[in-house]
Amino acid sequence: MSTTPDNGENQGQEPENGIGRREFILRAGAAGALVAGSIIAGRKLWQPNHFIPGFEDQKGLQLPPYTFGASKLLPTMAIAHGPDHEKTVGAAIGALGGMSRFIEKGDIVMIKPNVAFDRPPALAATTHPDALRAVANLVFAAGAAKIIIADNPINSPTGCFLKSGLRQVANELNLDLLYPETNSFAPLQLTGEVLKNWTFFHEPFKKATKVIGLAPCKDHNLCHSSMTMKNWYGLLGGRRNQFHQHIHSIVSDFALMMKPTLVILDGMNVLMKNGPTGGRLSDVKPMGTIVAGTDMVAVDSYGYTHLLERDIAELTYIHKAHDRGLGNKNWKEAHYKEVQA
Amino acid sequence: MAPPPVTERQAKKRDRNAFVRTKVPIVERISAVVIVLLIAGIGIAIWMKGQRWDPNLYSLRTDALNSTSAAVQGKAGTLRTGSGAQPGEESVVKEPTVAQQSPAVKNAGEGEPASGEMSGEGGNEAAPAKTASSAPAAKNEPMEIAIPGIKPMGKTEFYNPDNLFEKIDGRAPAYIGFNFQALRSRSFSVDGADSSYVDVYEYRMDTPVNAFGMFALERDPNGKPIDFAPDGYSGEMGFFFRQGAYYVQIIASDQNAKTMTAAKAIAVDRAKSIPVDNAGLDARRRLPATGMIADSVTFVQDNAQGQAFLKSVFQAGYQYEGAKLQFFLMVTTPDEAAAAWTSYKTFSGKFGKVTDLPDVKGAKIFQAENFGKCKVIYQREGELGGIVDAQDAAKARKFVEEYLQGQIR
Repeated sequence: MSTTPDNGENQGQEPENGIGRREFILRAGAAGALVAGSIIAGRKLWQPNHFIPGFEDQKGLQLPPYTFGASKLLPTMAIAHGPDHEKTVGAAIGALGGMSRFIEKGDIVMIKPNVAFDRPPALAATTHPDALRAVANLVFAAGAAKIIIADNPINSPTGCFLKSGLRQVANELNLDLLYPETNSFAPLQLTGEVLKNWTFFHEPFKKATKVIGLAPCKDHNLCHSSMTMKNWYGLLGGRRNQFHQHIHSIVSDFALMMKPTLVILDGMNVLMKNGPTGGRLSDVKPMGTIVAGTDMVAVDSYGYTHLLERDIAELTYIHKAHDRGLGNKNWKEAHYKEVQA
Repeated sequence: MAPPPVTERQAKKRDRNAFVRTKVPIVERISAVVIVLLIAGIGIAIWMKGQRWDPNLYSLRTDALNSTSAAVQGKAGTLRTGSGAQPGEESVVKEPTVAQQSPAVKNAGEGEPASGEMSGEGGNEAAPAKTASSAPAAKNEPMEIAIPGIKPMGKTEFYNPDNLFEKIDGRAPAYIGFNFQALRSRSFSVDGADSSYVDVYEYRMDTPVNAFGMFALERDPNGKPIDFAPDGYSGEMGFFFRQGAYYVQIIASDQNAKTMTAAKAIAVDRAKSIPVDNAGLDARRRLPATGMIADSVTFVQDNAQGQAFLKSVFQAGYQYEGAKLQFFLMVTTPDEAAAAWTSYKTFSGKFGKVTDLPDVKGAKIFQAENFGKCKVIYQREGELGGIVDAQDAAKARKFVEEYLQGQIR
């Protein structure tokens, strides 16, 4: 038995134990078709425009620092106490030297509230509309050309902005309220502990020249508290709950991700338990305090100890951020001023 | 001339040679190498892609599955009924009457041979948390509430354990810890109250015990009792109660009288529509109310006080004659209660002094001193309970004796 076809065509051309020309052509053709098919299929599957973390030819973006108004004379943190939102916010910002220290004429200011839930303002699970109104008025008074407010609540952004009362403030003061849309996101690249490449609500930052974080002070089921640092979580897209496994790491990563112009912690009414959603007025404690500053680690440190009235030793993300040089957890070491509204 | 005869060895060699190609053309060799390299390259590329996973690319969109859910609705084979219980589980199929069923239940139950309900009753009250739901799995039926003066603000929202975080984000793990099954939520605007609304949340857990567990965890110690649900209270901006395996929250947008009236009407409506089921909660109901510290009732499913024989235990703190006492209670069969009492007594005797106390109304009682603390444990007719970790032995004993005599209720 021989593999060589016994026909006249191949006689004298093939080695005794080789294959015939026809069979070789068939095999080579099949192999070629297989290779070509693999290449075509691979090309079909490849998504050149899709950001796949780790493929180095396409980098994600990094947010620029929005810090402004550094001063050796003026405080970096202010604590104001009072019964009224507007006056207390005004007192805190005034103690820092006024909003004009941070905002210049013509600035486009992005204010990031916490609108994670469709809860009414009284339950203190979201940024209070009175706090937004007070801050926005000060920003406009300092000469800002435009204010953008934006957040990415996972559940129904329109419902969250409506029920939290922030949409009404946006309408009232003519603020640009940006809802997250599919094309509002861009890849973010960071060298965080866990936050390295992720989709990010980028649209509000395309034109913003200054950024202010405006967060409620509240209990959180997973990371003990949600304050100014945790507030930036609301800018992430995708199934961000995956980070809940490493919640302290990612919250500390936000101090690396975002260098805001100013952060303001609303401690007028503090959600002391059953956070981050709350649901009962009995969960809320009136504390009548606004903390503003340029170091969110210091601001949160004050909030945790003096507003939530807890032991800072248990707040892992504060220690992580401090140890990474992203802020100072020892808020008393900051140049701070405490005032009464 | 005839060819020489071929020997068997020669024939084998000839056949073997026929399958061996010793002179493969160089083009074919190169082709083979290229193919092998390509296969290896594809393998490496797949591996590399697997190392750099983009969660957004492959994330599950549960809403995409909605279209398939209709196909299985009404198919009993997809439900875990009594006959479909897992090994080791006891169950009794119990079909609530139509009058007891919620609107969702009524619709879901149509055409189904069994409601799919499994409860801890049927002689297995001692392990209520291991049984399944007191109501059929929630089908995605809209929440319709026919009360004058309110209007739905949007569609009913549905969540399951996989996407609950979309609604309540970081609070979700607390609910999932109590075997959360489904959430149905809808908002209603209130006529005549400007911008006012009421949010309704119906969290369904797997058992009434777990629904109670979550309810107790979030309970407002200052809440006022309500008359339409035994496990419930009203707060300044809402109504909260546990009914069956459901934990229901009715949250008003403000304290406006009209809004609160609407909220109460909705709460009453919801309480009526959910079947009453207290399976596994008998022990909690026997906990005395006198002196109970608000918000102190807890449920321990296994190994209460580190003892394997203490299962499905309810415990609560009490203020009693100036002392704080911790009282616990377990309901089981008389034999198991007696055996557990004996085991507890034996265990306590290994680490301290045990004293038998006189029976009170047929209840056997022992007192033990362990590590500077006192416990007084009784058992009677399938009930085991007592005071643990007491600093004042006399008050612990007095409390237990008064409870057994019915003086503390």
